[in-house]
Amino acid sequence: MKKIVGVVKKNIGGWLIMLPSVVLFAFFVWIPLIQNVLLSFYDTVGFEKKSFAWFRNYVRVFQDPIFIKALTNTFFYAFWSIIIGFLLPIGIGLLLSELVHGRGMFRIGIYFPSIVSGIAVVIMWSYLFDPNPGAVLNSVLAFFGREPSTFLSNAKITIPLIVLTMTWRGCGSTALIYLSALQSADNALYEAARIDGAKARHRMIYVTLPHLKPTIRMLFILQIISVFQVFYEPLVMTKGGGPNGASVSMLLLSYQYAFSSFDASASAAVGVILSIIIIALTLLYFRFSRSEQD
Amino acid sequence: MKKLAEKTGGILNFTDYKKKSARIGYGVIVALLVLCVIIALLPPVWLFISSFKEAGELTAVPYHLFPEKFNLGKIADVWGMIHFETYFLNTLLVVAMAVVCAVLFNGVLAYALSIIKPLGYKLVYGMVLAGYMIPAITSIVPLYKMIVRLNLIDTYLPLGLVFGANAFYLIMFKNYFDSLPGALFDAARVDGCNKGKMFFSIVLPLSRPMIGVVSIFVMTASWSDFLLPYLVLQKEKAMTIMVKIYDLQNTMGTVTGFGPDKLLMVLTISILPQIVLFALFQKQITGNAVSAGIKE
Repeated sequence: MKKIVGVVKKNIGGWLIMLPSVVLFAFFVWIPLIQNVLLSFYDTVGFEKKSFAWFRNYVRVFQDPIFIKALTNTFFYAFWSIIIGFLLPIGIGLLLSELVHGRGMFRIGIYFPSIVSGIAVVIMWSYLFDPNPGAVLNSVLAFFGREPSTFLSNAKITIPLIVLTMTWRGCGSTALIYLSALQSADNALYEAARIDGAKARHRMIYVTLPHLKPTIRMLFILQIISVFQVFYEPLVMTKGGGPNGASVSMLLLSYQYAFSSFDASASAAVGVILSIIIIALTLLYFRFSRSEQD
Repeated sequence: MKKLAEKTGGILNFTDYKKKSARIGYGVIVALLVLCVIIALLPPVWLFISSFKEAGELTAVPYHLFPEKFNLGKIADVWGMIHFETYFLNTLLVVAMAVVCAVLFNGVLAYALSIIKPLGYKLVYGMVLAGYMIPAITSIVPLYKMIVRLNLIDTYLPLGLVFGANAFYLIMFKNYFDSLPGALFDAARVDGCNKGKMFFSIVLPLSRPMIGVVSIFVMTASWSDFLLPYLVLQKEKAMTIMVKIYDLQNTMGTVTGFGPDKLLMVLTISILPQIVLFALFQKQITGNAVSAGIKE
């Protein structure tokens, strides 16, 4: 008993200091998370739990063609984001690290899209992709002698175009991460390679890239994790994942289940499935980074 | 060219730049970067220019980039038409609350986890990290339900407080506190400084740079925060700018006289403060993009 009193006495100050923040984390993060997992195992009426449903909601969701669409779309988002947005920041980072003139200006310019964030910029892109034959991008296409495009209404290119805008927004900040990794490279290695007569491209392949490898691997997984959470772009640019669900993502579907069809249990089930995928990717990342250290 | 002759680090250095081919290569590097910067800046510049067009001009064929005249009065017209000041002030209020909450609650928790370390602090930190992995939007329904039950719909309290429970800012503070010299706190303890006083008279003054960085991040994040504000702020008078913009886009056509040209102007007005903020703090922002980008 005395021991317990002693422990409490020693820690009570620290606990009291933590309390308000812990309450906030519980309210905004932990309780909703647990509630959401519970919700996915119940039948719901108007956001309220009614009866235990076992895995019925999951079965129901998997039988819904739009969920299968969202699931495959999410993988397509990841695929295109790797094609369009993975090598680009590495290249820009390399260019920036070799630059000696006006470094600050170039950095600011390249980082600029990352600061004008939010719904406003997403709406801006939906106007840039105006499908009218006389609109801005179609005029550019016409200048190069190409047929006008319907852009986001063309289901074949909706996802690549959305990924393009995401790359525009995120590429600069990723490039700066690569830049800072590049700046920590050991110059003696470059010197040694130079003395051994390695050409510039060999120095890049045998010195720079091995140095960047951990960063590249980390950002690769982080990019996939973040693209799995695509939400605002299809919500705004394709008015909820159109045309015909061609760009609907899992997070958007979860939102639509909840706030368009008021089916909270299906929404929760989709949220849990997405969370499991993301946790799996995160664990994969930790595994990678651990094997790197061994 | 003098700078090239002094370049010592990197893949190419001054010895390479003695060769003409390498100097041409450097020209290509600069040209590619100029191209990147142009692509980065062009869309917002297009938005800015286009927002001065009149209703008919936007769809005019053939396309012309510039409006017939730059009528600066259009800014004031559109501002007055939708009473932008209401949403502007609402947003400022949310941003201010978010900054205070983010610094106070994450800072204090980081202080406890990093310096006081009461029993069970590892459990709390583990739970914070576990919650960090899962995107918050997936559990928006239970959160929304709790906000409804507490009668906080159409209030700004949850929108500010939510920034006080942010694992990313917490980790930034914790890493920073971990790097402070421990001897400092031992000395304070010996001098009889209590835990609360230690936070306000030692930790806070020492962490001014970190507070600055977190504040800037929170300002941009809360300025463009959308989903939670959209669900919580249902009365039109209570909306923030981002919610109002989404609302305007969805109701466009039903409001007489409010067409795409006006919406573009609203977009321009809404991103200008972000640009001003960036101009003021670009050193801190680009310098810390490294840690910020990891969150992206």
